[in-house]
Amino acid sequence: MNQQSKRSYETIFIVNATLDDAQIEHLIEKLKEFLVKQGSDIQSVESWGRKRLAYSIQKKNNGFYVLCEFSAGPEIGAKLERYYALEENVIRFLIVQLTDKALRARREKAAAETETPGDEPAKPLPKTTPPAADNADGENNAA
Amino acid sequence: MGRGRTTGRGGPRGQQIRKKRVCRFCESKEVYIDYKNEKKLQRFISEQGRIIPKRITGTCSRHQRMLVQAIKRARHLALLPYVSEAVK
Repeated sequence: MNQQSKRSYETIFIVNATLDDAQIEHLIEKLKEFLVKQGSDIQSVESWGRKRLAYSIQKKNNGFYVLCEFSAGPEIGAKLERYYALEENVIRFLIVQLTDKALRARREKAAAETETPGDEPAKPLPKTTPPAADNADGENNAA
Repeated sequence: MGRGRTTGRGGPRGQQIRKKRVCRFCESKEVYIDYKNEKKLQRFISEQGRIIPKRITGTCSRHQRMLVQAIKRARHLALLPYVSEAVK
């Protein structure tokens, strides 16, 4: 695959929180492996940890959130969707293509944060914090 | 009528709640609204969990569109409720 056809994506998935940490870690490793096998470059993987869900999904009230950023060709959407669907312990996922605007917003935010740390009014815990403002038009989601 | 839109139908008798003139996102020059920041989005949904119309929040059309998408994504990820517990 040539470099030009790659796009930036971001995916969040919610893992069944009743699993223990080792199992969740294993699941994340498996996802990374899958992405690499599909020829994508992983930029970052972030675990938000266990969070309370705003509503119950599959009768569960808690979930373990994992955010992953990567770049890959356009066919990754369908493949990743299928991968998630087959993974029983993933109770919800979202795949978003990061547009130029989203990437720019993120870069600006990152630059602003390094200049003036503690600028954000509502600063959540660093470990569970998503990097910055971004959003995208291209979206694949399924429940 | 004089002041027109600033006072609603009820005239000066009813206090105006949450009536804002400028778009918050324009003020802070946001290019993108992040669906992962649920605390920020929370301000733009009602107690029942519904998206507050831009005529009340004062958000401009462009940012309202981005906001709506962000809220819907956040809902999908169970970061925000579709319907709040209290209503259920």
